[in-house]
Amino acid sequence: MALQILIQGFVLSGLYALIAVGFTMIFSVGRVLNLAYGVYIMLGGYIYYAALQEAGLPVFASFILAILAGVTFGLLTYLLLVRRLEDNPIAVEISTLILAVVMQALIVVIFGAAPKTMWPVIRGVLRFEGISVTMNILLATGVSWIVLGGLTAFVRYTHLGRAIRAVSMDRKGAVISGIEPSFISMVTWAMSGAFGAIAGVFFATFTQLDSHMWVFPLIISVAVVIVGGIGSIVGSLIAAHIIGFVETITTTLIAAELRGVSTMLLIILVLLVRPKGLFGRAEL
Amino acid sequence: MSIDRETKRYLVWWLAFGVLMCLLPLGVGPGTLRILIFAHFLAMFAMSWDFLSGRTGYISFGHPFLIGIGGYTTAILSFRFGVPLYFSIPAAVVATMVGGTLFFLPALRIRGTYFALVTLAFMEILYQLTKVVAPKVTGGTRGISGLESIVTGAVNNYYLSFGIMFAIGVVLWLLIRTRLGVALSAIRMNEEAVRSTGHSTTKLKLFAFMVSAAVSGVGGAFYVHYIGSIAPRGMFEINFLFTILVAALLGGAETIIGPIMGAYFLTVLLEYLRPVMPGMERYLLYGGIALVLYVVRPAGIYSLIADAGRKMQEWRR
Amino acid sequence: MAGPLLEVRDLRKSFGGIHAVQGLSFGVDEGETLGLIGPNGAGKTTVFNLIMAELKPTGGEIWFRGENITRVPTHERVKRGIARTYQVPQPFGEMSVGANIRVGMAPDDLWKLVTEGADHAAEAEIGRSVGFSDEQIDTLPSELAMGDLRRLEMARNVAVSPALLLLDEVFAGLTLREIAHISELLVEKKRKDGLTYIIVSHDLRALAPLVDRVIVMSFGAAIAQGTFDEVVRDAAVREAYLGQ
Ligand SMILES: Nc1ncnc2c1ncn2[C@@H]1O[C@H](COP(=O)(O)OP(=O)(O)OP(=O)(O)O)[C@@H](O)[C@H]1O
Ligand SMILES: [Mg+2]
Repeated sequence: MALQILIQGFVLSGLYALIAVGFTMIFSVGRVLNLAYGVYIMLGGYIYYAALQEAGLPVFASFILAILAGVTFGLLTYLLLVRRLEDNPIAVEISTLILAVVMQALIVVIFGAAPKTMWPVIRGVLRFEGISVTMNILLATGVSWIVLGGLTAFVRYTHLGRAIRAVSMDRKGAVISGIEPSFISMVTWAMSGAFGAIAGVFFATFTQLDSHMWVFPLIISVAVVIVGGIGSIVGSLIAAHIIGFVETITTTLIAAELRGVSTMLLIILVLLVRPKGLFGRAEL
Repeated sequence: MSIDRETKRYLVWWLAFGVLMCLLPLGVGPGTLRILIFAHFLAMFAMSWDFLSGRTGYISFGHPFLIGIGGYTTAILSFRFGVPLYFSIPAAVVATMVGGTLFFLPALRIRGTYFALVTLAFMEILYQLTKVVAPKVTGGTRGISGLESIVTGAVNNYYLSFGIMFAIGVVLWLLIRTRLGVALSAIRMNEEAVRSTGHSTTKLKLFAFMVSAAVSGVGGAFYVHYIGSIAPRGMFEINFLFTILVAALLGGAETIIGPIMGAYFLTVLLEYLRPVMPGMERYLLYGGIALVLYVVRPAGIYSLIADAGRKMQEWRR
Repeated sequence: MAGPLLEVRDLRKSFGGIHAVQGLSFGVDEGETLGLIGPNGAGKTTVFNLIMAELKPTGGEIWFRGENITRVPTHERVKRGIARTYQVPQPFGEMSVGANIRVGMAPDDLWKLVTEGADHAAEAEIGRSVGFSDEQIDTLPSELAMGDLRRLEMARNVAVSPALLLLDEVFAGLTLREIAHISELLVEKKRKDGLTYIIVSHDLRALAPLVDRVIVMSFGAAIAQGTFDEVVRDAAVREAYLGQ
């Protein structure tokens, strides 16, 4: 039991970290909550599905197409909506929520309302001491660690990455030092779309494709931001693990139906006790 | 209460609106009336949202939570325990106000974007809980159907729903025009400064929450008895929240009249489009309209009409 | 009345590692005008925030009219007669000048808020008393110059009829004419209503004629106090302002 919780907790947390990273980025750089983020995840899943299972393209090409769709949509959200409302986080929050529902309707119009099952990215099951884990979810966890590691390196060691970090810490200061914040914002939104799409492919193989699937990842992302505080990659990673483990423990020990409830309660609790998040306002 | 000239002039408009809507059943069929009944309920929900969020800036993403408490309370009391409606509906309103207090607690500590998220979390929790906690009472995923109706027939229900909506509308509208309304919108602009002008913002906010919850409770309770059923799906859902938000914003937040207009517009548009767009396309369309309008004209339809009215007056002079 | 109107005793406030106020004690007598000066970041605004209960002190006590008000919330302190202006004016942005004043005049009583209508004449009267013309009463804050915004804050304070007024950088961002107007206004109000002031200002020339006494703060503590002339001659003060 303990081992099962440990393994399941780790893989689930890995997936959650991957889901949340694109959302956290936007929040730490732009200080706005993008409630359309779940749509990038949904879009990633559906485009991958359409390319692979309907058009018969190879896995790699389908992945690339999904990422491109995420990038495009991320950029569009920023350029058409967020940039116009940028000084008002509440307006951004409301309008991105409306956008998400619009996109949900679009998905139904294009793909129909019936849920679709996706093939796993890789097949196979790993068995260990009577516990079985799919290779697919292990791959998701692996990808999650690679993405987070890559992002950390990018932010530390590249010029663009350092610029993004500068803007996330101090917008005005960054302007003075000659960085163009609107370019940085575009890069961030594009990256957020890409991460969302990648996470979407794995999330969809983990559950299934349907037009409501954007809500749950969005809630997980919000929870990660709230629990982890603004910005820090390590903080988000830890937060994802807290959420993943709390959920695994509740579902295995108490009741499987309480999957979402524990996360919600965690959000409310943290907001009431430590509104700045457990790890405060750290850097990206 | 002192009523100034402008308020009197507006009240004449309210009266005209009331008379017109009361005469309407003479001219239109029951089908149209049924559509308008939905508009009236949506208007109640949108006004409830507006009184809290449009005024004070505490954006609620959890109004379905409040409406659902009202709906479930009267549904459970009347259906499971045979409590008469004249008791179960007031009880539902009280229960909603208790739920509103739950909502209010986080508002003591957080505001802005985070507040909206907490209320969203409340809604999601209730969605999960109604499915698993005491399904014998709540009906679980299927909910409860076969609820007692208050009056029968389209015409009666039309008058009932319009009467409630109209009363709520006038009362809320008068409230926002008082100094209390001014103080509540000052909270949206700068809560700290309101405190340093000698107001207990806690008291003001609590009042706004209670009024909003009570309106949601009334709306939710009458609504479930009208449609005769309640279930977690359809109630605690982002799509429902979306409809409320869009009605309020489309019409123009902070005005009470705006949400009523938004509700009529949205419901009528929805019905009008039904033959052409039977499914989700409608959401696509009016979500799209709402987005464009929100970005281009955040003050909503009401402001468009108010501006047009002002231009007309200038033009006549 | 015996004893000072306001007294702070050993007041302390830390933000994490920053000790913004450390062991400050002083009193103001009824009718007195006290200047509070010091370099940027000395802790002056923090002292105001503490006196208004907009921040919780880390330690120390605040007394007003012989009552310990350390635990009294902001709006109750306002009712007891303390009001403030902000270094950066904080108008209610989407409301006219008149409506801004109305918020200040409104009673902290839900029933009265609903039943008593606005008194437009009284609003205009308060507006006029701080120098607004009748047309300006209907304008929005976004159309006002800095001097008028500071006036608007004064008006909102006058509306709550305080005994003690805390003025944070009232002269900052103003033209010489506006400074003269505000100074006149302060003198006038004091003569008519017997107000007590604590004024924070970097503009020492504007401050000098107004104050009876000055306290100099540096790094959260009082380093000197006395009349204006005594204080500006003080070596420690020169050091704090010009040193480093
Ligand atoms: N809310 C806060 N959180 C953290 N630090 C704060 C906060 N408010 C003030 N400080 C810090 O406390 C110190 C004192 O600030 P304060 O604003 O009181 O100074 P001041 O004397 O008013 O300066 P100025 O002349 O620039 O207005 C500064 O170092 C400031 O950075
Ligand atoms: Mg200051």
